[in-house]
Amino acid sequence: MRQARADEYAEFAAARAGHLYRSACLLTAGDTHLAEDLVQETLGRIYVSWRRVARVGNPAGYAQTVLARAFLAHHRRRSSTERVTATLPDVAAASGDATLRVTLLDALGRLPAKDRAVVVLRYWEDRSIQETADAMNTSPAAVRTRCVRALARLRDLLGEDVGEYARP
Amino acid sequence: MPVDHGPHLDTPPDPFADRLSRALHRTGGAFDADRRALAAGGAARGRRKRLLRRTALAGGTAAVAAVCLGGTLLLAPGDRDDTPRPAPVAGSRTATASSTAAPVTADRMIATLKGLLPEGTVSDARGGGSGGRTAAPFAQLVFDDGKGAAALSVGLGRVAPGGDDARQLTECPDKVLAAYDACTSERQPDGSVVRVLKGYEYPDRRVDTRLWTADLVSADGAHVSVSEWNAAAEKDAPVTRPEPPLTAAELRDLATAPAWRDAVGSLPAAEEVTAAPAAPGGWRIAGVLAALMPDGVKVAARGSQDSEFAYVVADDGKGASYVQVNVQPGMSDVAGELFGSGAETLPDGTLVAEHQGPGDRGDLVMWTVDTLRPDGRRIVVSAFNAASQTTAATRATPALTMGQLRAIALSSRWLALG
Repeated sequence: MRQARADEYAEFAAARAGHLYRSACLLTAGDTHLAEDLVQETLGRIYVSWRRVARVGNPAGYAQTVLARAFLAHHRRRSSTERVTATLPDVAAASGDATLRVTLLDALGRLPAKDRAVVVLRYWEDRSIQETADAMNTSPAAVRTRCVRALARLRDLLGEDVGEYARP
Repeated sequence: MPVDHGPHLDTPPDPFADRLSRALHRTGGAFDADRRALAAGGAARGRRKRLLRRTALAGGTAAVAAVCLGGTLLLAPGDRDDTPRPAPVAGSRTATASSTAAPVTADRMIATLKGLLPEGTVSDARGGGSGGRTAAPFAQLVFDDGKGAAALSVGLGRVAPGGDDARQLTECPDKVLAAYDACTSERQPDGSVVRVLKGYEYPDRRVDTRLWTADLVSADGAHVSVSEWNAAAEKDAPVTRPEPPLTAAELRDLATAPAWRDAVGSLPAAEEVTAAPAAPGGWRIAGVLAALMPDGVKVAARGSQDSEFAYVVADDGKGASYVQVNVQPGMSDVAGELFGSGAETLPDGTLVAEHQGPGDRGDLVMWTVDTLRPDGRRIVVSAFNAASQTTAATRATPALTMGQLRAIALSSRWLALG
Protein backbone atom coordinates (compact mmCIF):
# COMPACT_ATOMS: atom_id res chain seq x y z
CA MET A 1 0.00 0.00 0.00
CA ARG A 2 1.39 3.38 -0.95
CA GLN A 3 2.09 5.74 1.92
CA ALA A 4 -0.67 8.26 1.15
CA ARG A 5 -3.20 5.49 0.84
CA ALA A 6 -1.89 3.79 3.96
CA ASP A 7 -2.28 7.03 5.90
CA GLU A 8 -5.78 7.42 4.55
CA TYR A 9 -6.66 3.89 5.66
CA ALA A 10 -5.11 4.40 9.11
CA GLU A 11 -7.13 7.57 9.58
CA PHE A 12 -10.31 5.82 8.52
CA ALA A 13 -9.67 2.82 10.76
CA ALA A 14 -8.93 4.96 13.80
CA ALA A 15 -12.02 7.08 13.20
CA ARG A 16 -14.37 4.13 12.72
CA ALA A 17 -12.97 1.55 15.14
CA GLY A 18 -14.94 2.89 18.10
CA HIS A 19 -18.30 2.79 16.37
CA LEU A 20 -17.58 -0.56 14.77
CA TYR A 21 -16.70 -1.93 18.19
CA ARG A 22 -19.92 -0.64 19.74
CA SER A 23 -21.94 -2.21 16.90
CA ALA A 24 -20.02 -5.46 17.32
CA CYS A 25 -20.77 -5.49 21.05
CA LEU A 26 -24.49 -5.29 20.31
CA LEU A 27 -24.26 -7.93 17.56
CA THR A 28 -22.44 -10.29 19.91
CA ALA A 29 -24.78 -9.44 22.79
CA GLY A 30 -21.94 -8.19 24.95
CA ASP A 31 -19.21 -10.70 24.06
CA THR A 32 -16.44 -8.11 23.97
CA HIS A 33 -13.71 -10.55 22.98
CA LEU A 34 -15.64 -11.74 19.96
CA ALA A 35 -16.50 -8.11 19.23
CA GLU A 36 -12.81 -7.15 19.12
CA ASP A 37 -12.11 -10.08 16.85
CA LEU A 38 -14.92 -9.12 14.46
CA VAL A 39 -13.78 -5.49 14.30
CA GLN A 40 -10.22 -6.51 13.46
CA GLU A 41 -11.50 -8.94 10.85
CA THR A 42 -13.63 -6.16 9.37
CA LEU A 43 -10.80 -3.66 9.30
CA GLY A 44 -8.55 -6.35 7.82
CA ARG A 45 -10.95 -6.87 4.94
CA ILE A 46 -11.26 -3.14 4.42
CA TYR A 47 -7.47 -2.91 4.34
CA VAL A 48 -7.22 -5.46 1.54
CA SER A 49 -9.69 -3.62 -0.67
CA TRP A 50 -9.07 -0.10 0.59
CA ARG A 51 -8.27 1.30 -2.84
CA ARG A 52 -11.71 0.29 -4.01
CA VAL A 53 -13.49 1.05 -0.76
CA ALA A 54 -12.06 4.55 -0.61
CA ARG A 55 -13.68 5.35 -3.94
CA VAL A 56 -17.21 4.40 -2.94
CA GLY A 57 -19.52 7.00 -1.52
CA ASN A 58 -19.86 5.77 2.01
CA PRO A 59 -16.89 3.77 3.32
CA ALA A 60 -18.19 4.02 6.89
CA GLY A 61 -21.49 2.39 5.95
CA TYR A 62 -19.61 -0.17 3.90
CA ALA A 63 -17.51 -1.06 6.94
CA GLN A 64 -20.67 -1.59 8.99
CA THR A 65 -21.97 -3.93 6.30
CA VAL A 66 -18.71 -5.89 6.31
CA LEU A 67 -19.00 -6.16 10.09
CA ALA A 68 -22.57 -7.48 9.96
CA ARG A 69 -21.53 -10.06 7.39
CA ALA A 70 -18.45 -11.06 9.35
CA PHE A 71 -20.72 -11.61 12.34
CA LEU A 72 -23.17 -13.73 10.36
CA ALA A 73 -20.31 -15.70 8.81
CA HIS A 74 -18.94 -16.36 12.27
CA HIS A 75 -22.30 -17.77 13.32
CA ARG A 76 -22.60 -19.93 10.24
CA ARG A 77 -19.29 -21.49 11.15
CA ARG A 78 -20.52 -22.29 14.59
CA SER A 79 -23.12 -24.91 15.32
CA SER A 80 -26.71 -24.00 14.56
CA THR A 81 -27.68 -23.80 18.20
CA GLU A 82 -28.28 -20.31 19.37
CA ARG A 83 -25.91 -18.86 21.89
CA VAL A 84 -27.51 -17.81 25.10
CA THR A 85 -25.27 -15.50 27.04
CA ALA A 86 -24.00 -17.67 29.83
CA THR A 87 -22.15 -14.95 31.65
CA LEU A 88 -23.00 -11.37 32.25
CA PRO A 89 -21.38 -9.05 29.76
CA ASP A 90 -18.17 -7.55 31.06
CA VAL A 91 -18.96 -3.88 30.98
CA ALA A 92 -18.48 -1.33 33.68
CA ALA A 93 -21.42 -1.76 36.00
CA ALA A 94 -21.21 1.53 37.80
CA SER A 95 -23.54 3.62 35.67
CA GLY A 96 -27.27 3.96 36.22
CA ASP A 97 -27.88 2.23 32.89
CA ALA A 98 -26.29 -0.98 34.10
CA THR A 99 -29.60 -2.73 34.65
CA LEU A 100 -30.86 -1.83 31.22
CA ARG A 101 -27.58 -2.88 29.65
CA VAL A 102 -27.56 -6.30 31.26
CA THR A 103 -31.22 -6.93 30.49
CA LEU A 104 -30.98 -5.69 26.90
CA LEU A 105 -27.81 -7.61 26.08
CA ASP A 106 -29.28 -10.72 27.62
CA ALA A 107 -32.41 -10.33 25.51
CA LEU A 108 -30.32 -9.76 22.37
CA GLY A 109 -28.37 -12.89 23.23
CA ARG A 110 -31.55 -14.89 23.13
CA LEU A 111 -32.36 -13.92 19.56
CA PRO A 112 -31.17 -16.01 16.63
CA ALA A 113 -28.09 -14.41 15.06
CA LYS A 114 -29.86 -13.18 11.95
CA ASP A 115 -32.71 -11.69 13.95
CA ARG A 116 -30.16 -9.91 16.12
CA ALA A 117 -28.40 -8.56 13.04
CA VAL A 118 -31.73 -7.22 11.77
CA VAL A 119 -32.40 -5.49 15.09
CA VAL A 120 -28.93 -3.92 15.23
CA LEU A 121 -29.00 -2.76 11.61
CA ARG A 122 -32.54 -1.40 11.85
CA TYR A 123 -32.59 0.14 15.31
CA TRP A 124 -28.97 0.91 16.07
CA GLU A 125 -27.74 1.71 12.57
CA ASP A 126 -31.14 3.17 11.64
CA ARG A 127 -31.09 1.44 8.29
CA SER A 128 -34.19 0.96 6.16
CA ILE A 129 -35.62 -2.46 5.41
CA GLN A 130 -34.06 -2.36 1.94
CA GLU A 131 -30.63 -1.34 3.24
CA THR A 132 -30.79 -4.04 5.90
CA ALA A 133 -31.72 -6.59 3.24
CA ASP A 134 -28.78 -5.46 1.11
CA ALA A 135 -26.36 -5.78 3.99
CA MET A 136 -27.60 -9.24 4.87
CA ASN A 137 -27.83 -10.55 1.31
CA THR A 138 -31.47 -11.33 1.77
CA SER A 139 -34.84 -10.07 0.64
CA PRO A 140 -36.81 -7.19 2.17
CA ALA A 141 -39.61 -9.68 2.81
CA ALA A 142 -37.31 -11.86 4.88
CA VAL A 143 -36.07 -8.80 6.79
CA ARG A 144 -39.63 -7.75 7.55
CA THR A 145 -40.44 -11.22 8.81
CA ARG A 146 -37.37 -11.33 11.02
CA CYS A 147 -38.01 -7.83 12.27
CA VAL A 148 -41.58 -8.57 13.33
CA ARG A 149 -40.49 -11.77 15.03
CA ALA A 150 -37.52 -10.19 16.78
CA LEU A 151 -39.56 -7.25 18.06
CA ALA A 152 -42.22 -9.61 19.40
CA ARG A 153 -39.56 -11.64 21.16
CA LEU A 154 -37.83 -8.58 22.60
CA ARG A 155 -41.17 -7.21 23.72
CA ASP A 156 -41.71 -10.42 25.63
CA LEU A 157 -38.24 -10.43 27.10
CA LEU A 158 -37.90 -6.75 27.92
CA GLY A 159 -41.45 -5.76 28.61
CA GLU A 160 -43.40 -3.10 26.82
CA ASP A 161 -41.49 -0.22 28.39
CA VAL A 162 -38.07 -1.70 27.44
CA GLY A 163 -36.11 -0.38 30.33
CA GLU A 164 -37.55 3.12 30.34
CA TYR A 165 -37.80 2.43 34.06
CA ALA A 166 -34.00 2.47 34.21
CA ARG A 167 -33.87 6.02 32.94
CA PRO A 168 -31.75 8.05 35.35
CA MET B 1 -34.18 9.22 18.55
CA PRO B 2 -36.59 8.32 15.78
CA VAL B 3 -36.28 4.87 14.32
CA ASP B 4 -37.09 5.85 10.79
CA HIS B 5 -36.86 9.18 9.14
CA GLY B 6 -36.92 10.77 5.73
CA PRO B 7 -36.70 8.32 2.85
CA HIS B 8 -36.37 5.39 5.23
CA LEU B 9 -39.96 5.62 6.41
CA ASP B 10 -40.82 2.07 5.49
CA THR B 11 -42.47 0.70 8.59
CA PRO B 12 -45.30 2.11 10.64
CA PRO B 13 -44.19 3.90 13.76
CA ASP B 14 -43.99 1.55 16.69
CA PRO B 15 -43.56 2.99 20.17
CA PHE B 16 -41.83 -0.16 21.30
CA ALA B 17 -39.33 0.04 18.43
CA ASP B 18 -38.65 3.66 19.36
CA ARG B 19 -37.90 2.70 22.92
CA LEU B 20 -35.78 -0.21 21.74
CA SER B 21 -33.77 2.12 19.53
CA ARG B 22 -33.13 4.46 22.45
CA ALA B 23 -32.14 1.54 24.66
CA LEU B 24 -29.72 0.24 22.01
CA HIS B 25 -28.09 3.63 21.72
CA ARG B 26 -27.71 3.98 25.46
CA THR B 27 -26.34 0.47 25.79
CA GLY B 28 -24.13 0.42 22.69
CA GLY B 29 -22.77 3.86 23.39
CA ALA B 30 -21.32 2.69 26.69
CA PHE B 31 -18.88 0.22 25.11
CA ASP B 32 -15.42 1.55 24.61
CA ALA B 33 -12.21 -0.02 23.44
CA ASP B 34 -8.65 0.89 22.55
CA ARG B 35 -9.31 2.19 19.06
CA ARG B 36 -5.68 2.42 18.07
CA ALA B 37 -5.12 -1.19 19.04
CA LEU B 38 -8.17 -2.28 17.04
CA ALA B 39 -7.06 -0.27 14.01
CA ALA B 40 -3.52 -1.67 14.24
CA GLY B 41 -4.86 -5.20 14.64
CA GLY B 42 -7.05 -4.72 11.60
CA ALA B 43 -4.16 -3.49 9.49
CA ALA B 44 -2.01 -6.42 10.55
CA ARG B 45 -4.75 -8.82 9.57
CA GLY B 46 -5.18 -7.03 6.27
CA ARG B 47 -1.50 -7.35 5.45
CA ARG B 48 -1.66 -11.06 6.22
CA LYS B 49 -4.76 -11.50 4.02
CA ARG B 50 -3.06 -9.69 1.18
CA LEU B 51 -0.03 -11.91 1.47
CA LEU B 52 -2.17 -15.05 1.49
CA ARG B 53 -4.03 -13.84 -1.54
CA ARG B 54 -0.88 -13.20 -3.52
CA THR B 55 0.40 -16.62 -2.58
CA ALA B 56 -2.83 -18.21 -3.72
CA LEU B 57 -2.71 -16.37 -7.04
CA ALA B 58 0.85 -17.46 -7.65
CA GLY B 59 -0.19 -21.01 -6.92
CA GLY B 60 -2.91 -20.86 -9.53
CA THR B 61 -5.81 -21.11 -7.10
CA ALA B 62 -7.81 -18.53 -8.94
CA ALA B 63 -11.06 -19.11 -7.13
CA VAL B 64 -9.81 -17.72 -3.85
CA ALA B 65 -7.68 -15.00 -5.36
CA ALA B 66 -8.54 -11.45 -6.11
CA VAL B 67 -8.70 -10.69 -9.80
CA CYS B 68 -8.18 -7.42 -11.56
CA LEU B 69 -10.42 -6.41 -14.39
CA GLY B 70 -10.56 -3.04 -16.06
CA GLY B 71 -8.23 -1.65 -13.45
CA THR B 72 -10.63 -2.39 -10.62
CA LEU B 73 -10.07 -4.91 -7.90
CA LEU B 74 -12.88 -7.40 -7.81
CA LEU B 75 -13.37 -10.16 -5.37
CA ALA B 76 -13.62 -13.67 -6.67
CA PRO B 77 -16.54 -15.92 -5.68
CA GLY B 78 -14.70 -17.37 -2.75
CA ASP B 79 -14.98 -14.07 -0.98
CA ARG B 80 -18.52 -13.27 -1.86
CA ASP B 81 -20.29 -15.02 0.96
CA ASP B 82 -19.49 -12.48 3.59
CA THR B 83 -17.82 -9.61 1.84
CA PRO B 84 -20.13 -7.10 0.20
CA ARG B 85 -19.29 -5.38 -3.03
CA PRO B 86 -19.52 -1.64 -2.80
CA ALA B 87 -21.19 0.51 -5.42
CA PRO B 88 -19.83 -0.33 -8.84
CA VAL B 89 -17.06 1.81 -10.16
CA ALA B 90 -17.55 3.06 -13.71
CA GLY B 91 -16.11 0.69 -16.25
CA SER B 92 -16.10 -2.31 -14.04
CA ARG B 93 -18.23 -5.37 -14.17
CA THR B 94 -18.33 -8.50 -12.18
CA ALA B 95 -16.69 -11.62 -13.46
CA THR B 96 -17.10 -15.00 -11.88
CA ALA B 97 -14.84 -17.88 -12.61
CA SER B 98 -17.64 -20.41 -12.72
CA SER B 99 -20.27 -18.65 -14.79
CA THR B 100 -20.20 -17.11 -18.21
CA ALA B 101 -23.86 -16.08 -18.18
CA ALA B 102 -24.56 -12.51 -19.20
CA PRO B 103 -25.51 -10.21 -16.34
CA VAL B 104 -29.18 -9.34 -16.02
CA THR B 105 -29.64 -5.72 -17.00
CA ALA B 106 -32.22 -3.24 -15.76
CA ASP B 107 -33.55 -2.88 -19.31
CA ARG B 108 -34.01 -6.61 -19.63
CA MET B 109 -35.86 -6.72 -16.29
CA ILE B 110 -38.22 -3.92 -17.33
CA ALA B 111 -38.83 -5.34 -20.81
CA THR B 112 -39.56 -8.79 -19.40
CA LEU B 113 -42.03 -7.40 -16.88
CA LYS B 114 -43.80 -5.28 -19.50
CA GLY B 115 -44.05 -8.29 -21.81
CA LEU B 116 -45.77 -10.36 -19.14
CA LEU B 117 -48.45 -7.82 -18.21
CA PRO B 118 -52.01 -7.85 -19.59
CA GLU B 119 -53.51 -4.96 -21.60
CA GLY B 120 -52.91 -1.59 -20.04
CA THR B 121 -50.58 1.38 -19.87
CA VAL B 122 -47.19 1.44 -18.22
CA SER B 123 -45.37 4.44 -16.78
CA ASP B 124 -42.52 5.33 -14.43
CA ALA B 125 -40.59 2.14 -15.17
CA ARG B 126 -37.36 1.74 -13.24
CA GLY B 127 -35.06 -1.19 -12.74
CA GLY B 128 -31.75 -2.53 -11.55
CA GLY B 129 -29.46 -5.20 -12.93
CA SER B 130 -27.34 -7.90 -11.42
CA GLY B 131 -24.24 -5.71 -11.68
CA GLY B 132 -25.65 -3.16 -9.26
CA ARG B 133 -24.84 -2.61 -5.63
CA THR B 134 -27.14 -5.32 -4.37
CA ALA B 135 -26.72 -7.77 -7.26
CA ALA B 136 -30.47 -8.31 -6.95
CA PRO B 137 -32.16 -7.41 -10.23
CA PHE B 138 -35.52 -5.72 -10.00
CA ALA B 139 -38.06 -3.81 -12.07
CA GLN B 140 -40.85 -1.61 -10.89
CA LEU B 141 -43.45 0.39 -12.74
CA VAL B 142 -46.91 1.87 -12.54
CA PHE B 143 -49.50 -0.21 -14.38
CA ASP B 144 -53.00 0.94 -15.27
CA ASP B 145 -55.54 -1.43 -16.77
CA GLY B 146 -58.00 1.45 -17.06
CA LYS B 147 -59.35 1.08 -13.56
CA GLY B 148 -56.68 2.97 -11.67
CA ALA B 149 -52.90 3.28 -11.52
CA ALA B 150 -51.11 0.65 -9.47
CA ALA B 151 -47.49 0.13 -8.46
CA LEU B 152 -46.10 -3.24 -9.50
CA SER B 153 -42.65 -4.67 -8.94
CA VAL B 154 -40.64 -7.80 -9.43
CA GLY B 155 -37.36 -8.74 -7.78
CA LEU B 156 -35.04 -11.68 -8.32
CA GLY B 157 -32.62 -13.28 -5.95
CA ARG B 158 -31.36 -16.47 -4.51
CA VAL B 159 -31.98 -18.08 -1.16
CA ALA B 160 -30.36 -21.12 0.35
CA PRO B 161 -32.45 -24.17 -0.65
CA GLY B 162 -34.23 -25.61 2.33
CA GLY B 163 -33.11 -22.75 4.55
CA ASP B 164 -34.95 -20.48 6.88
CA ASP B 165 -35.50 -17.78 4.26
CA ALA B 166 -36.87 -20.27 1.74
CA ARG B 167 -39.34 -21.54 4.29
CA GLN B 168 -40.45 -18.11 5.43
CA LEU B 169 -41.00 -16.94 1.87
CA THR B 170 -43.21 -19.87 0.94
CA GLU B 171 -45.18 -20.64 4.08
CA CYS B 172 -48.34 -18.72 4.83
CA PRO B 173 -47.66 -16.59 7.89
CA ASP B 174 -49.48 -17.19 11.14
CA LYS B 175 -52.70 -15.19 10.94
CA VAL B 176 -52.42 -14.11 14.51
CA LEU B 177 -48.98 -12.61 13.92
CA ALA B 178 -49.57 -11.00 10.51
CA ALA B 179 -52.60 -9.30 9.00
CA TYR B 180 -53.72 -10.59 5.61
CA ASP B 181 -56.89 -11.58 3.78
CA ALA B 182 -55.87 -14.71 1.92
CA CYS B 183 -52.84 -16.88 1.36
CA THR B 184 -52.13 -19.94 -0.72
CA SER B 185 -48.92 -21.91 -0.94
CA GLU B 186 -48.68 -24.56 -3.62
CA ARG B 187 -46.00 -26.79 -5.00
CA GLN B 188 -45.47 -26.65 -8.75
CA PRO B 189 -44.75 -29.72 -10.91
CA ASP B 190 -41.06 -28.76 -11.08
CA GLY B 191 -40.70 -28.79 -7.29
CA SER B 192 -40.80 -25.05 -6.78
CA VAL B 193 -43.25 -23.55 -4.30
CA VAL B 194 -45.33 -20.43 -4.94
CA ARG B 195 -47.01 -18.47 -2.20
CA VAL B 196 -49.62 -15.86 -3.06
CA LEU B 197 -50.38 -13.54 -0.18
CA LYS B 198 -53.10 -10.89 -0.14
CA GLY B 199 -52.00 -8.56 2.58
CA TYR B 200 -51.59 -4.94 3.47
CA GLU B 201 -48.76 -2.46 3.16
CA TYR B 202 -49.19 -1.38 6.74
CA PRO B 203 -49.56 -4.22 9.23
CA ASP B 204 -51.88 -2.15 11.42
CA ARG B 205 -53.96 -1.15 8.37
CA ARG B 206 -54.00 2.47 9.36
CA VAL B 207 -54.17 3.07 5.61
CA ASP B 208 -55.93 0.45 3.53
CA THR B 209 -53.15 0.12 0.97
CA ARG B 210 -53.31 -3.46 -0.17
CA LEU B 211 -50.10 -5.31 -0.97
CA TRP B 212 -50.47 -8.55 -2.85
CA THR B 213 -47.38 -10.64 -3.38
CA ALA B 214 -46.39 -13.84 -5.12
CA ASP B 215 -43.13 -15.47 -4.07
CA LEU B 216 -41.64 -18.38 -5.94
CA VAL B 217 -38.75 -20.35 -4.49
CA SER B 218 -37.41 -23.13 -6.67
CA ALA B 219 -35.80 -26.34 -5.46
CA ASP B 220 -32.39 -24.89 -6.23
CA GLY B 221 -33.02 -21.62 -4.41
CA ALA B 222 -34.14 -19.25 -7.18
CA HIS B 223 -36.42 -16.60 -5.68
CA VAL B 224 -38.87 -14.54 -7.74
CA SER B 225 -40.92 -11.99 -5.85
CA VAL B 226 -43.77 -10.07 -7.48
CA SER B 227 -45.70 -7.35 -5.64
CA GLU B 228 -48.63 -5.17 -6.60
CA TRP B 229 -50.48 -2.44 -4.78
CA ASN B 230 -53.82 -0.66 -5.18
CA ALA B 231 -51.99 2.66 -5.21
CA ALA B 232 -49.51 4.21 -7.61
CA ALA B 233 -46.70 3.93 -5.08
CA GLU B 234 -45.78 1.59 -2.27
CA LYS B 235 -45.99 4.24 0.43
CA ASP B 236 -47.65 7.57 0.95
CA ALA B 237 -49.82 7.48 -2.16
CA PRO B 238 -53.62 7.54 -2.18
CA VAL B 239 -55.49 4.33 -2.87
CA THR B 240 -56.60 4.44 -6.53
CA ARG B 241 -58.74 1.31 -6.71
CA PRO B 242 -60.34 -1.24 -4.38
CA GLU B 243 -57.83 -3.96 -5.20
CA PRO B 244 -54.54 -4.34 -7.08
CA PRO B 245 -54.98 -4.99 -10.83
CA LEU B 246 -53.78 -8.59 -11.20
CA THR B 247 -55.82 -11.43 -9.74
CA ALA B 248 -54.17 -13.99 -7.50
CA ALA B 249 -53.90 -16.39 -10.45
CA GLU B 250 -52.38 -13.73 -12.72
CA LEU B 251 -49.92 -12.80 -10.00
CA ARG B 252 -48.90 -16.43 -9.59
CA ASP B 253 -48.47 -16.83 -13.36
CA LEU B 254 -46.32 -13.72 -13.44
CA ALA B 255 -44.05 -15.09 -10.72
CA THR B 256 -43.73 -18.50 -12.38
CA ALA B 257 -42.93 -17.13 -15.86
CA PRO B 258 -39.89 -19.01 -17.22
CA ALA B 259 -38.20 -15.74 -18.24
CA TRP B 260 -37.48 -14.92 -14.59
CA ARG B 261 -35.98 -18.30 -13.91
CA ASP B 262 -33.56 -17.84 -16.79
CA ALA B 263 -32.49 -14.51 -15.33
CA VAL B 264 -32.04 -15.89 -11.83
CA GLY B 265 -29.88 -18.61 -13.32
CA SER B 266 -27.17 -16.06 -13.97
CA LEU B 267 -27.00 -14.94 -10.34
CA PRO B 268 -24.47 -16.38 -7.92
CA ALA B 269 -25.79 -19.02 -5.56
CA ALA B 270 -26.84 -17.95 -2.09
CA GLU B 271 -24.65 -18.71 0.82
CA GLU B 272 -25.30 -22.07 2.39
CA VAL B 273 -26.95 -21.61 5.72
CA THR B 274 -27.94 -24.07 8.32
CA ALA B 275 -31.68 -24.24 8.56
CA ALA B 276 -33.04 -22.77 11.76
CA PRO B 277 -33.58 -25.50 14.28
CA ALA B 278 -37.16 -26.70 14.45
CA ALA B 279 -39.09 -25.68 17.52
CA PRO B 280 -40.26 -28.94 19.03
CA GLY B 281 -40.92 -27.24 22.35
CA GLY B 282 -43.15 -24.49 21.03
CA TRP B 283 -46.15 -26.61 20.14
CA ARG B 284 -45.93 -28.49 23.40
CA ILE B 285 -45.95 -25.17 25.21
CA ALA B 286 -49.01 -24.13 23.20
CA GLY B 287 -50.68 -27.39 24.19
CA VAL B 288 -50.05 -26.82 27.88
CA LEU B 289 -51.21 -23.22 27.65
CA ALA B 290 -54.44 -24.33 25.92
CA ALA B 291 -55.01 -27.04 28.51
CA LEU B 292 -54.63 -24.52 31.34
CA MET B 293 -57.41 -22.24 30.12
CA PRO B 294 -60.13 -21.90 32.75
CA ASP B 295 -63.57 -23.44 32.28
CA GLY B 296 -65.75 -21.48 29.91
CA VAL B 297 -62.82 -20.11 27.93
CA LYS B 298 -62.40 -21.63 24.49
CA VAL B 299 -59.18 -21.71 22.48
CA ALA B 300 -59.88 -20.23 19.04
CA ALA B 301 -56.30 -20.52 17.77
CA ARG B 302 -52.87 -21.46 18.96
CA GLY B 303 -49.36 -21.16 17.64
CA SER B 304 -45.68 -20.95 18.33
CA GLN B 305 -42.67 -19.24 16.83
CA ASP B 306 -39.82 -20.90 18.65
CA SER B 307 -39.05 -23.43 21.31
CA GLU B 308 -39.72 -21.07 24.21
CA PHE B 309 -42.78 -19.15 23.09
CA ALA B 310 -46.40 -19.96 22.35
CA TYR B 311 -49.76 -18.24 22.28
CA VAL B 312 -53.43 -19.02 22.22
CA VAL B 313 -56.33 -16.84 21.21
CA ALA B 314 -58.80 -17.33 24.03
CA ASP B 315 -62.50 -16.57 23.81
CA ASP B 316 -64.93 -16.58 26.70
CA GLY B 317 -67.84 -15.64 24.42
CA LYS B 318 -67.26 -11.91 24.93
CA GLY B 319 -64.50 -11.38 22.39
CA ALA B 320 -61.09 -12.73 21.41
CA SER B 321 -58.15 -12.33 23.78
CA TYR B 322 -54.53 -13.06 22.87
CA VAL B 323 -52.63 -14.92 25.59
CA GLN B 324 -48.93 -15.62 25.26
CA VAL B 325 -46.39 -17.48 27.35
CA ASN B 326 -42.62 -17.63 27.40
CA VAL B 327 -40.97 -20.61 29.04
CA GLN B 328 -37.32 -19.73 29.53
CA PRO B 329 -34.80 -21.92 31.33
CA GLY B 330 -31.68 -20.57 32.99
CA MET B 331 -32.92 -17.11 33.95
CA SER B 332 -31.64 -17.03 37.54
CA ASP B 333 -28.77 -14.75 36.63
CA VAL B 334 -31.11 -11.92 35.72
CA ALA B 335 -33.56 -12.45 38.58
CA GLY B 336 -32.60 -9.12 40.10
CA GLU B 337 -33.35 -7.23 36.90
CA LEU B 338 -36.63 -8.99 36.20
CA PHE B 339 -37.98 -9.12 39.73
CA GLY B 340 -37.30 -5.97 41.67
CA SER B 341 -38.00 -5.21 45.28
CA GLY B 342 -41.76 -5.30 44.66
CA ALA B 343 -41.74 -8.98 43.75
CA GLU B 344 -43.39 -11.58 45.90
CA THR B 345 -41.53 -14.70 47.05
CA LEU B 346 -43.58 -17.87 47.51
CA PRO B 347 -42.73 -20.44 50.22
CA ASP B 348 -40.98 -22.65 47.64
CA GLY B 349 -38.75 -19.76 46.56
CA THR B 350 -40.62 -18.93 43.33
CA LEU B 351 -40.60 -15.21 42.53
CA VAL B 352 -43.81 -13.63 41.24
CA ALA B 353 -44.34 -10.17 39.75
CA GLU B 354 -47.60 -8.83 38.34
CA HIS B 355 -47.96 -5.98 35.84
CA GLN B 356 -51.01 -4.33 34.31
CA GLY B 357 -50.22 -1.75 31.68
CA PRO B 358 -50.96 -0.41 28.21
CA GLY B 359 -50.29 -2.50 25.11
CA ASP B 360 -48.64 -1.42 21.91
CA ARG B 361 -51.64 0.18 20.34
CA GLY B 362 -53.37 2.92 22.25
CA ASP B 363 -56.50 0.90 22.89
CA LEU B 364 -54.77 -2.27 24.12
CA VAL B 365 -54.05 -3.40 27.64
CA MET B 366 -51.51 -6.03 28.58
CA TRP B 367 -51.77 -7.99 31.80
CA THR B 368 -48.75 -9.99 32.82
CA VAL B 369 -47.79 -12.45 35.54
CA ASP B 370 -44.06 -13.13 35.56
CA THR B 371 -42.65 -16.02 37.59
CA LEU B 372 -39.19 -17.42 38.24
CA ARG B 373 -38.86 -20.91 39.73
CA PRO B 374 -35.93 -21.73 42.02
CA ASP B 375 -34.47 -23.88 39.20
CA GLY B 376 -34.13 -20.77 37.03
CA ARG B 377 -37.14 -21.47 34.83
CA ARG B 378 -39.09 -18.34 34.00
CA ILE B 379 -42.76 -18.63 33.03
CA VAL B 380 -44.25 -15.34 31.97
CA VAL B 381 -47.86 -15.17 30.82
CA SER B 382 -49.47 -12.10 29.26
CA ALA B 383 -53.04 -11.54 28.13
CA PHE B 384 -54.43 -8.80 25.89
CA ASN B 385 -57.90 -7.41 25.20
CA ALA B 386 -57.53 -8.14 21.47
CA ALA B 387 -57.01 -11.11 19.17
CA SER B 388 -53.36 -10.15 18.66
CA GLN B 389 -50.86 -7.51 19.70
CA THR B 390 -51.41 -5.55 16.52
CA THR B 391 -55.17 -5.57 16.02
CA ALA B 392 -57.89 -3.41 17.51
CA ALA B 393 -59.30 -4.04 20.96
CA THR B 394 -62.19 -6.50 21.00
CA ARG B 395 -63.10 -5.90 24.65
CA ALA B 396 -62.23 -3.70 27.61
CA THR B 397 -60.07 -6.22 29.49
CA PRO B 398 -58.45 -9.58 28.68
CA ALA B 399 -60.57 -12.74 28.92
CA LEU B 400 -58.54 -13.94 31.90
CA THR B 401 -58.30 -12.28 35.30
CA MET B 402 -54.98 -11.60 36.98
CA GLY B 403 -55.79 -14.47 39.34
CA GLN B 404 -56.33 -16.85 36.42
CA LEU B 405 -53.09 -15.72 34.75
CA ARG B 406 -51.29 -16.31 38.01
CA ALA B 407 -52.71 -19.82 38.30
CA ILE B 408 -51.56 -20.57 34.74
CA ALA B 409 -48.05 -19.23 35.32
CA LEU B 410 -47.65 -21.16 38.56
CA SER B 411 -49.06 -24.43 37.24
CA SER B 412 -46.90 -27.46 37.85
CA ARG B 413 -47.62 -28.61 34.29
CA TRP B 414 -44.85 -26.36 32.96
CA LEU B 415 -42.32 -28.37 34.94
CA ALA B 416 -43.37 -31.52 33.09
CA LEU B 417 -42.14 -30.00 29.83
CA GLY B 418 -38.63 -30.95 30.89
